[in-house]
Amino acid sequence: MNFSHTWLPFIYLYGLGGILFVSGIIITIKSGSFDLSRKAHKKWMWVLLFGFVWYLMMHALMTWAALDIISVYSVPIVLLGMVVVFIVVTLMLRKTGGA
Amino acid sequence: MQTFHSIGTTTDWIVMVVYFIVIMLFGSYFGRYTKNTSDFFFGGRRFSWWLITMSIVATGVGSHSFVKYSAKGFEHGISSSMTYLNDWFFIPFFMFGWLPIIVYSKIRSIPEYFEKRFSPSARFLATILLLLYMIGYIGIGFLTLGKAVIPMLPEAFTVFGMTLPITLMGAIMVIAVITGIYITFGGQTAVIFTDLLQGFILLFAGLLLFFFGITYLGGFDLFWNLLPTEWKLPLADFNQPANFNFVGIFWQDAIAGSIGFLFMNQGLIMRFMACKNVNEGRKAAAVNILFVLPISAIVVGNAGWIGKAISVVSPDIVSPSVSPDQIFVVVANIIASPGMFGFIMAALTAALMSTVDTLINATAAIFINDVYRPVQKFVKRNVMSNNERDRKELLVARYASMGVTALGVLAVLAFKNFPTVYEAHGYFHSTLTPPLVVGIFLGVFWKRFTPAAVITTFVGGVALMILGARYPGILIAPFDHGIEMNPDHPYSYIRALYNTLVCTGAAVIVTLTTQWQRKIISTIRGKQNQKMIMNIMVAITIMVFAIVLFNVSMLSVQVFATIAVMILVPLTVTYYVKYDENLNTNGLTAGSINIARNLFKGGDPNDQEGETVLVYLKRVEGDETVVHFSNKDMAKMKAEVGDLVYISDKRKWMGGLKSIHSVFGEPHDEDGTVYITPDQTKHGLFVDGKILEAEKEM
Repeated sequence: MNFSHTWLPFIYLYGLGGILFVSGIIITIKSGSFDLSRKAHKKWMWVLLFGFVWYLMMHALMTWAALDIISVYSVPIVLLGMVVVFIVVTLMLRKTGGA
Repeated sequence: MQTFHSIGTTTDWIVMVVYFIVIMLFGSYFGRYTKNTSDFFFGGRRFSWWLITMSIVATGVGSHSFVKYSAKGFEHGISSSMTYLNDWFFIPFFMFGWLPIIVYSKIRSIPEYFEKRFSPSARFLATILLLLYMIGYIGIGFLTLGKAVIPMLPEAFTVFGMTLPITLMGAIMVIAVITGIYITFGGQTAVIFTDLLQGFILLFAGLLLFFFGITYLGGFDLFWNLLPTEWKLPLADFNQPANFNFVGIFWQDAIAGSIGFLFMNQGLIMRFMACKNVNEGRKAAAVNILFVLPISAIVVGNAGWIGKAISVVSPDIVSPSVSPDQIFVVVANIIASPGMFGFIMAALTAALMSTVDTLINATAAIFINDVYRPVQKFVKRNVMSNNERDRKELLVARYASMGVTALGVLAVLAFKNFPTVYEAHGYFHSTLTPPLVVGIFLGVFWKRFTPAAVITTFVGGVALMILGARYPGILIAPFDHGIEMNPDHPYSYIRALYNTLVCTGAAVIVTLTTQWQRKIISTIRGKQNQKMIMNIMVAITIMVFAIVLFNVSMLSVQVFATIAVMILVPLTVTYYVKYDENLNTNGLTAGSINIARNLFKGGDPNDQEGETVLVYLKRVEGDETVVHFSNKDMAKMKAEVGDLVYISDKRKWMGGLKSIHSVFGEPHDEDGTVYITPDQTKHGLFVDGKILEAEKEM
């Protein structure tokens, strides 16, 4: 398969998208509206970073599956595993007063 | 291209009619819980995140998605899902910038933000652009409805011996009339609950369709193996073909579309404002984007993927030449049984109508709030009682809704010649969102961004966009990333990059040259004939803008005219608009959210994290603005007198429907009891004997 159809869009999406995403975090932290000294906002930092990795993994797994590098069935399995991790960590943060 | 008519059976039509009646009754039932529309959308702030998350589904999924993503799924495969999976990049800006600002500043519409942050003239221009955006969106909605319904209708029908052909525009006009009736009976006040139900039904119907499709094909393995590799990839080819390429769609959808949807979709913003607090709004946005959108991507696109697989294995059943915008209806009809097909079509059309209704009402609200009231205020014709004014405004709102509906039908003409709804929508987003997106975005995140800069973005930016649309091969081509230009619809998607860049460029250059503008205006103010100078400047500005707008003369003259606009507009605004950076940005930029919270509360926020407490209500006569808890309960909540409190029915499944916001009054000694007035009880829809949950807000 052509690189311009497989990994170039992926690199562009998460390269440029990543720059925008990190800029958003930095700008909101610098402006004071995203205040990591507040426990509730620390939990949001986890959610934000998880969300980025979640989508990056989703696209990477789907591309691998399309190229027959992995089984298509492993895509939902890995993603479900990530959902479980997300729920567990979010609940732990909530128990420690992060929510 | 193969097109279809008269798809479906009588059973399907019966199911559709029953579905519409049930949805209207459901909406009307929950509508009785609301006192008025204004309270429901702007003052209520009562709902839990999960309720808002599901109600957003119908707004996002319902609006044209089934038709347009199935079309692209049929043409290009699983990469049709990419627009649903690229909304996370701007979420930090939304969660910690725009969302708290719209909630804490209590703005009722986006143009109102422009007035508070910049000036009334910025509000005026923002209103024009926003109305164009909303009416265009309504046009896209009508176009999709027409394309969804046409395959189910006969080619022509006979009345009194006359044969009348059914055309797309004819069907759209009939749909527009039915939509008007639907608004009247469905009721805007019940829209959140109607959308909540429809959100579930849409997801269910879409997943059901996928299940039927996979079963029809003989299992997932067969389906997957039928698709060629390039159809399985989640992202489109980087820069080809012209009508569906990754980089164009990235700029059109992930950038302009995502910011447009999150920052300037009035209907969506109303939903977030209905959340009980900012944190619940963040949860609603996060869950929606993280988990609901990936499911929605499958729900809306799978009919196209299934259609493609069937066309590979049985081209006699689904021909590869089927019109892409009809593939959803064609596939649904093949794989679903009679009745079930009617249910799927009913879910689709009802959700589309609900979306169009929401847009029409939101547009009418913008008209009343940002056109009618300011004009009335300007001409000072307000010598009437509140009741009289309300009645008059209601009448004007009804006329506005009718006018907006008619303009929405007219807007279809601008989009109906695009090959698919997807491309029409892409072109629309690329063209109309950049000026407002840049205005809102820089307004929120850049304190130095001035009224002169925002107005130049709206006027000069638009002038540059017009030039780009007129000379795409010269102006947009340098940004095309190798995409081939289609002369019929040049750069439908990548024009978003050019448009965003020129608007941002205009905004940044004017902001950075603010001191120069002030110096020039200060010099002009020192002259005796300053008014005459400014009048000449305004006249020249209008004249040079007209040169661009009406395509007078050659490109070089138009470029020169645009440069003149970019120089003269900021000077004119600097002269006429009174602006105090500190005053105008207080609580309206990301850097002043704490001031916004302070203004919202009317005092210093109390951010100590306390517990929630369970209480019974006790009705007492007294101050309507406060509620009273015991000393011990207030200590548990770490609350002080004057802090804000949210009280709701303990039953979580009610989603905050029965709740109020209030202020902590002086404490008493009766633990587990809240003293509230009969009016507060009525407003919160509380029932005696039911346990209430109270939490300190700030």
